[in-house]
Order: sequence, then C-alpha cells, then structure tokens
Amino acid sequence: MPDDGITALTALDPVDYAVISQSLTAAAREMGVKLIRSSYSNIVREAQDASAALFDRHGNVVAQAELIPMQLGPMSDTFAACAAVVPPSELRPGDFYINNDPYKGGQHLQDVFIFSPIFVDGALVGFAGSVSHHLDLGGGNPGLTPDAADVHAEGLIFPPSVYNLDRDWNGGPLQRLIAANIRAPEQTIGDFYAQFAANAIGAERVAQLCRRYGAAKLERAMADLIEYSERRFRAALAALPDGDYYGEDAVDDDGLSDTPLTVRAKVSIRGDRISVDYDGTCPQVRRNLNCPFASTVSATLAAVKSALTSPDIPFNEGVKRAVTVSAPKGCLVNPHYPAPVRARMLSAYRCFDAVLRALSEVAPDKVVASGNDSTHSLAISHLGGEKYRVYLEIYGGGFGASPRVDGCDGVDSALSNCTNTPVEATDMDFDHFRVIGYGLVPDSGGAGRRRGGLGLWRRFEVLKDETNFACYSDRSRIAPWGLRGGEEGGCTRIELTRDGETTVLPSKTKTELRRGDVLTIYTAGGGGYGPPSEREGARIASDIRDGYVTAQAAMAAYGRTG
Amino acid sequence: MRIGVEVGGTFTDLVAIGPDGVRVTKVPSTPASPDEGAFEALVRSGVSLAEVDDLAHGSTVATNAVLERKGFRTAFVTTRGFRDILLLQRHGRSRIYDLEYRKPRPVVDRADSFEVSERVLANGDVEHPLDVEEVTRELIPALGAGRYEAVGICLLNAYVNPEHEAALRDLLRAALPDTTISVSHEITREFREFERASTTTLSAYVQPVIDRYISRFQRRLADGGFAGRFSIMQSNGGRLPADAMRSAAVNALLSGPAAGVMGAARQAGRAGYGNLLTFDMGGTSTDVSVVTDGRPQLTHEFEIDGLPVRVPVIDIHTIGAGGGSIVWVDDGGMLRVGPRSAGAAPGPACYGRGGTEPTLTDAHVIRQTVRAEAFLGGRMAIDPEASRAAFEPIARRFGMSLEEAADSAIRVADANVVQAIQLISTQRGLDPRDYVLAPFGGAGPLHAARVAEDLGVTRIVVPPSAGVISAYGLIASDFTQFSSLTRRVIADDTAADVMREAFAQMRTEAVERARSMRLDGELVLELFADMRFVGQAFEVPVGFDPSELAGLSAQDVRDRFREAHHRVYFFRGDESKPVEFVSFRLGVTLPLAELPVLTETETGLPVDHEIDLFDDRRWWRGRLVSRARMRLGEEVVGPALLEDPTSTVFLPAGWVASRDDADNTTMIWRGRDA
Repeated sequence: MPDDGITALTALDPVDYAVISQSLTAAAREMGVKLIRSSYSNIVREAQDASAALFDRHGNVVAQAELIPMQLGPMSDTFAACAAVVPPSELRPGDFYINNDPYKGGQHLQDVFIFSPIFVDGALVGFAGSVSHHLDLGGGNPGLTPDAADVHAEGLIFPPSVYNLDRDWNGGPLQRLIAANIRAPEQTIGDFYAQFAANAIGAERVAQLCRRYGAAKLERAMADLIEYSERRFRAALAALPDGDYYGEDAVDDDGLSDTPLTVRAKVSIRGDRISVDYDGTCPQVRRNLNCPFASTVSATLAAVKSALTSPDIPFNEGVKRAVTVSAPKGCLVNPHYPAPVRARMLSAYRCFDAVLRALSEVAPDKVVASGNDSTHSLAISHLGGEKYRVYLEIYGGGFGASPRVDGCDGVDSALSNCTNTPVEATDMDFDHFRVIGYGLVPDSGGAGRRRGGLGLWRRFEVLKDETNFACYSDRSRIAPWGLRGGEEGGCTRIELTRDGETTVLPSKTKTELRRGDVLTIYTAGGGGYGPPSEREGARIASDIRDGYVTAQAAMAAYGRTG
Repeated sequence: MRIGVEVGGTFTDLVAIGPDGVRVTKVPSTPASPDEGAFEALVRSGVSLAEVDDLAHGSTVATNAVLERKGFRTAFVTTRGFRDILLLQRHGRSRIYDLEYRKPRPVVDRADSFEVSERVLANGDVEHPLDVEEVTRELIPALGAGRYEAVGICLLNAYVNPEHEAALRDLLRAALPDTTISVSHEITREFREFERASTTTLSAYVQPVIDRYISRFQRRLADGGFAGRFSIMQSNGGRLPADAMRSAAVNALLSGPAAGVMGAARQAGRAGYGNLLTFDMGGTSTDVSVVTDGRPQLTHEFEIDGLPVRVPVIDIHTIGAGGGSIVWVDDGGMLRVGPRSAGAAPGPACYGRGGTEPTLTDAHVIRQTVRAEAFLGGRMAIDPEASRAAFEPIARRFGMSLEEAADSAIRVADANVVQAIQLISTQRGLDPRDYVLAPFGGAGPLHAARVAEDLGVTRIVVPPSAGVISAYGLIASDFTQFSSLTRRVIADDTAADVMREAFAQMRTEAVERARSMRLDGELVLELFADMRFVGQAFEVPVGFDPSELAGLSAQDVRDRFREAHHRVYFFRGDESKPVEFVSFRLGVTLPLAELPVLTETETGLPVDHEIDLFDDRRWWRGRLVSRARMRLGEEVVGPALLEDPTSTVFLPAGWVASRDDADNTTMIWRGRDA
C-alpha cells in the first residue's frame, strides 16, 4: 500500500472523511436520479441521456452520478471555459453558468451544461452541475441535421456565459429566446427546468454537509476524495510496463465518400502516468463526424479507466491528473471551428477502440474485443399542423468478448449508457410511426473462445406521409474486431422496405418517408476473444438451443454444434 | 393462541402469544425445505396446533427460488416481434465502466419465449385481432406435453385493453389445465412492457413453488390438528389467507423484511408512536424503511436480483452492513465496512471458526459494547483475543489504538446506515426529525443511538424481543390487498369527479374480492393517485383518504400533487403546467380485531453491575441492565448496555432509557452535557 495514503489521511479524521466523501457521492447520485425522473423528453426521461456532478469551488469535479461516461469526462473543462468568462468570485445567488459550445469546452450542441454555484452563509463552497441531451435545439432539420455544413446549422449555441434564474429564466428573456428557436419547446424547456431542479438538490445537500462539518472540513474532504481517486488510478497504471503502444480503428465514412476515417492512437506509459497522442489521425471532415477535443479527452479517459482500473474507483478530477491527451489541431479528433460535430460519438468511439487496441498489447487480459461501439442515432419526426413531433433514440449493440465472459447482448456501448424507450411509451407519444419489432440479431456475435455480444434490431412502420428520417450510424462496413484469434462481429445495416422492395440505406443519411414504409435497423455485434476451437461444446449447444447462434453458423465458425 | 413463524436465512423465529403470555423460540433454518425448520420451531415451542386460532407464516421460499433459479420451467408469451424484451431489458448498464458487464439473467430463457400475432394500441384500439387459429396450431403444441409448469403472458398495451390477454389466458387454460397461467394485466396494470413482462414472468415462475409449499404446509398443519386461520405475509406489509396467496405468489418476494417493519410499527404504535424510521440490522445486511402515521411507505419499483417487480412493496432499502460485515482499508487508503460479509461461516474472528478478517461484531467485542459472555444469550463462546488480533493491521495503518480503530469502524458503519435512511427519508422529501428511530434485529439496537444523533433524531423506541420482532410482525399485521387501474386523463376541472368515479369502480371490485376470501368485517380503504405533469414519464403517488373524496375540488387535487412533487423534486410548477392522472391504486385492509401483546423476556444471566466500555474515542464506566427487569418509571442513564435474550441495546452517554407501558425501551437524547 502506498505510503502517501497515510499522510493524506492524517489531515482529516478517517471517519469524517469517509462520511463526507460518501455523502457527496450520494448527493451526486440523487441529482442524477431526480434529473431523469422529472424530465419530459423521451431522450432524457426514458433514454436517460443526462448526467450530474458536484464540483469544488474551483470547478474540479468531486463526485458524479455515474450515468453517461461521455458527458462526465471533461465536465471541468466545460466549466473552466465559463469561469474564464466570468470568474466564480463574481457570481451571486441565483446565477448559473451555461455552455454547449463545442469549440469552448463543450461537446455537441445538444448536450447543454449548466453549473449552479453553491453558497453557504454568503460564501461560495462549490458548484452543482448537470447536463442533458436536449431533443431539438433548432438547426436545419428536426432532431438532427446530417448534412449540416457547419456547427451553426446544427442548432443554437450557448457560448460560456452567466445568466440569473430570477431575471432570465422563469418566463424571462433567456427562456423565451430558447423557446422561440427550438422545435419542441414544451419538452425541451421542461428538461431545462429539470436541470435547474437537480442543481438545486445538489446545492442543498452540499450546504447541509457544510453546515454540519464546516467549510474547512468539507473542502478538505473534497480535495481528499480527488486525491483518493488519483492515488488508486496511478497505482493501477504503475503496475503496467513502461512503453509506447499503438492502435488504430476507423469510422466507415463521412457520409459523402467511401473513404474510412482513420483514428490512430499512440499510448505511452511511463511509471504512474499515461499519455495518449492522436497524431496520424485523418484530417477533419466536411460532415458532422468531427470530434471536439473535449469529447476526444472524454473517450480516452473512459477507455483507460474501463480497461485498466477497478470499476469502483470514483471518477473525478483525480483520474484526469494521471492522463495526458493530445491531438493535432485540424484532425478529426481536434477540429477547427466551425466544423459540424453532431455525430462526434462515432469518432470518439474510434478513439476508444484505438486506445483499447493499443492497450491489448500490454494488458491483453484486461482489454475486451471491439464491440458495436457506435451511437446509432435515429430521428423520426413529423410536422402536423403547427406542432413538431420529434422522436430521437439511440441504439447500442453487442459488447466485445473478454478472456472470461461472452460479450453483453443488445446493450448500449461503453461511452454511453442510454436506456431504450419502451414501445408502450412511443405508442403513447407518437402517431407518425409505430415500433413493430425489437429483438436480438442471431449470429451477429463474433465467434471465439468467448463469443461477442449480439447486436439488436428495431423495426418501424411509418404511419404518415412526409415523415422526416435522419440518422447517423457506423460499423456498417468495418466490422468490430476480435482479439487473440476471436472473429469479427456482424455489421450494422439500415433497411427501408417500400412497396415490397427492400433497399439498404447509407449509415449517415436523411430522407423522407411515406405511409406504409417499413424501416429496420440491425446494429453490430461484438468481436470474439480467443480461437473458436477453444469454445466449450456445452456453450455452443446452449447458444444454439436459445437461438443466439444458428446451427449453420455454428458449423461454419466452430465446425460443430456442441 | 396466535403464532407467527418467520423463516430467515440463518434462524427460524417463532413468537406465540396466548393467555399464558409470550413464548419466543429460535431454531436454525433449514434452507433446503424451509417448512422443516418452521415445524421444528412449532414442536420446540411446545404449543399444541389444535389450540392455535391464528397462524401467520413468512418464508424466503419465493425469494430463494428466484435468487437460486430453483423455480419450475416457465415460458413467456408476448406480441409478435417482441420475444426478446426480457433479454433486451432497458438497454443500459448499472456499472458504466465495467467492460465485462452482464445483464441480470431473466427467469425465462430465450428458447422458452414465444410470440402470438396480435396488436393493441396505446388507446386500447385493436390494430390486429388475436390470431386464435395460430395459437391453436403453433403455440399450444409448443407449450404442451408438460414441458412447462407455468406460462407468463405479457402483450403490448394490455394494461389499457386486456382483452387479448384474457382471451389467450382462457385458451391456454382450456388446453393446458395443469399449467399455471399468469397474465400481466392481472398482476400489474402499468405501462412499460419490459417491467410488466418481468413482473409477470417472475410471478409465473414462483407461483408453482409457493403453491406446492403452501399445500404441503397446510397438509402438515391439518395432520397436527390445526383448525385455525392460516395466512401468509406479503411484501406490502399485509397478510393474505394462504389459499388466496397461492395465486398471488409474486407478492411474497420481500415478505421477510416487511414482517419486521410491521412488527416494529405495531409495537411502537401501542405506545403511541406513528412516525418511525425502522432500522433492522442482522448478520449480513441492514434494512431501513419509513413508517408514517403507522403506515409503511410503499413503492412499486422494486428489483430482485436486478429484475424489476412492479407490485406494491414496503419501500425498504437494504445495504451490506451487519455484524459479519468485514472492516477493511481499500487501495486508496479509505476505511470501509462491508458489503462483503464473513457470514455465518467462518463468521467474525471472535467466533473462532477460522475467520481472521475483522468484522463489526469484532469491533463491538473490542469496545466491550457486546459482552463476550452474553453473546446470543450466553449460548455462544466468544474469543476477544481473536477480535483484537484481527483489528491489529487496521490500528497500525491509521496509527490508532485497537479501541480507536474498532470505534472508527463502527462509526463508518453507522454513517452507512445514516445514508441509507437519508435515501428513503430526506431524498423522498421527509425530515427525519419528525420521526423516532425503531431499531431491531440482532444488531440494530447496538447502533441506534449514534445513527439517531447523526440524523438529528432525539427519540428511539426499541421493541421488546427486538431480535424476533419479524415473527411478531406476522401476527400483528392486517389483511391487505392492492388493486390498480390505469386511467390516463388530464386533471382538469373534472379531476375530482374522475377520482370519485375511479374509486367507486375499484371499491366495488375490491370489496367483492375481499369477501370472496372470507375477509369479513369493516374494511379500510386507501386510495393513491399516481400523477405527473403532462409530458413527464414518472409519477408521484398522492394519497387520499376516501372519506375526503366527497368534498374534494379539482383545485385541491392539483394542489396536493404539486405539493408532493415539490417535496421530492424541488419543483412545484404553477397552474399553467397541466397535470395528469396515470393510474389509481386502492388498498383494501381488514384491520385486526385485537392486536396481540408482545412483552420482554428474561435473559437468565447475572445483570445490573458496572462495566467498562469504549465509545466515542474514550473509555467509560457504565451499567449493565436486563431490559425485562427495568421498572416502569425507572430511568437508566447512559452509558449502559440493556440486554434481553435476543439483542443488546447500547445506550451511550447523553442518552437516557426507560421502559414504557407497552414494554418498549425508550431512549431519549439529553445532550452531551446531561
């Protein structure tokens, strides 16, 4: 056990430390639960595309509600951009920071970050922050704009700035400005209210702790909690051999040509530090696959943390201190303004995969094969009278297999954690389409000693003419890779059946649908791990019995059915 | 004579209350067939079954069937296109950085999931009629020939229009008379197909298990000459006649913890306490819950082994903190307690059964807040030196004495309990200071005082025989059944009328059902409206007393909702935000005619002398007292240990204890300087 642990702990009674730090974590979790439960849009209330965190008074993340890894990673950078505009010392009760600017610490426009200062007896003791993926923030097309030429065509930008709840919200000018520029104001404004309420809950819990233990102890516990994560994180890194390791992966295409968009990562481990450099990655592109640097950092942190360290290390500022990320300006994963960025998740996943691939050289036991690793984002919208109906949902697929377990079937991928919208909820909320099927895709998991997880399919029947369909998706050409002899997973496919004819749609597209059309998405399965010859007969037989693998596919991959 | 028999994981407890007073019996549980332990307890108690009028039973048989996947083979039937909903679940992960994540395993395999052609829409319209011919041709042969013991049916939107489910149920019952058929709309009428399908399949899965268990139990009771009323505890804190329980098995999944809550609520209620935070600490875990005005808080969002169950259950939060919880320092240097437990084997280091890791029990032994010679009523030998040896590395790590290290461990455990209680009180918008703490279980009364201090609670009420209060809870519980009705309408000017109509309809059905179960007597009804702002997906339950319905205005209904919403979510909204009803739930209760009276029993150990104990970083000189010998009106000033055969109460400095006329031990905070 490292000696520095003792010195760090002697400053604060171990009991006070344990109690305050666990209370902070519980408060962040409560913020997250209530943010989701009091929201309105299906993307937040059902899909849970939202996150929350507590910060010290300097804006360092102390504790997070573990919801969406992608949103959580760089929250302090998003905060810092706000603090650079108006320093925290100038804030008054009721003020809040807001930021969604991809070129100033934000990710994509839909993720709007709001930070509320926490005052106790007039003194600033910390911040409560939340982020929700907003259903529609304007832009060229309802829900999402695949052909946006720049970030301005993707929606409303909130540059890092300060507003006041009493003055600007609650019917005030900011609220009215937003409502006038978006397509589904009832749901979206409701989701903003839920963010403010979540922040208020976090602030109240921190204030309670502050009154109980005093500001000095609270501040010390916040610092200790950050150091605690850093210490555990560095201990895990120190256990790996020093060296430089390389990995790459690619996005299928940018939606304009067939050229793969390659992401290259060089992972350097030196003692208890790790650095990741994306030199060699392809240049930025004209469509929305560009990945703002904050998102690149987030994907990298998630890859390193998931693969190398125990899942129970709390994610906070301390984790970031041991990791350095760099990428040349102008490349896919650090684009110049004003490149469009909406589908940045797809490129961020290739950062994640490239880092895993590099780490598979040095820690083959900890890394899993590649999975679906894409955010397949589908928007089906319709303008009826003066009201837009916007359905937006994202789909995961199969996880890659590990040395120990088969990949998880039909689940959101590693950087995200969205839940599905119940079919009974879409039935209730939308009358321009209907979900008519939802299942696992047999044979989509890569064969191996451990099998990749299965992708999923979802089928929609269109009920109205002039229905707008827009999507971004990936892994439709370049399959998820297996590891150590494991085979590739199945690819993504989007099919449109019209008048009895089925065509395959591009993975990044926008089109108009008609009544009677049937649209189906099949998402990618995970890669396998280890040679198929080493898979136990009982597992093959049970996969066949349950229909995860067909007998023909088992014969082809394993040469046997049991 | 009334008897409660509660089968727990380690012990089976029996409380018998008759004209001659109270008898308490504790025997080891027999997990392979829990009824063996139950009848062993009956034999040991010396009670003649022929003299028993009222026998109430709680067991883990349903819970264990799920946890160990030992139920019977079950099939799942749903709408065509959706056979995988049990596997897809909600598409998220509970551990976001775990690359080896596995979903909770459903109780039905993919090979046993089937589809039927039909489709009902969200407004109840039939889009495609049920294909009866296909059911006969394909489904029935696939389910037939004794392949399945049970079938769970959940069709899309059946919560609005159950006609297809009912038709399918009737077809399958006619064709497969020996198979248990469970349909979603009869179990839970709430939207969200995965949660409803999960509830339905779990119900189907445990149904035959409970049915057989009850039949066997009833036969043995009859053989013993039993002619009284036999009832089974449910997770919602009420009992059901055993025969009715045979078709409501899913309601038994959380019955053990529920019995404890009811026992504490009834016993504290006898002394006039209505608002309780219950705190049940045993060997491996702690259950906490909230009782308001004598009624436990209910929730219908409960999970077993990660699988959702949408039926009303007492809102009990469980954490891994118990006497056997292991005290450790993690690789970041933080002192932690649990959730890993030494269990019963090897058990705490002081048991001398090979355990070397320090546990909470060892911490109490070191602090001398548990007396080695009085452990489990003196029936178990304890090795204090083993406790000290186990704590040595932790003391060294933090540069503390052994006593300080043990004391720190206990305070960390207390903090975990405090957080669990905040989760179900503060986070639900309730102020713990409006409540008294009711600790029970073997270790609850040991930790209660410090937990209360941290919550700002100044009064604690410890029930008599606190270690077996669950068994008492069985016979102290009313008979209760819940029904629900989904009715999604805007709460406009007709809001009060909508409620009155829904209530009238549900009341008629519920009262009929109660009478058919031979629940005769004055029934008590309570109504909950699940409401939300239009556009939200999660409802806030708002409770109404049926007697106030007549005078209720639409405005009152909306105001009550907004108040409830604000308590939980810190947001009240105003009249411009429309509000809607989603569903109504009606609880029907037959209260007990007469509450059985529980009393304290003697320890048989030498008591009332001075002892030394360590607490709050120092040694104290304190008293040792038998709870059964405390006289009414006598005050014991802390520090002191108050013992009975089932548990020890720790009364720290600053607290004063006395016995009330319902035999509870009441502890009151007088402050550090008192």
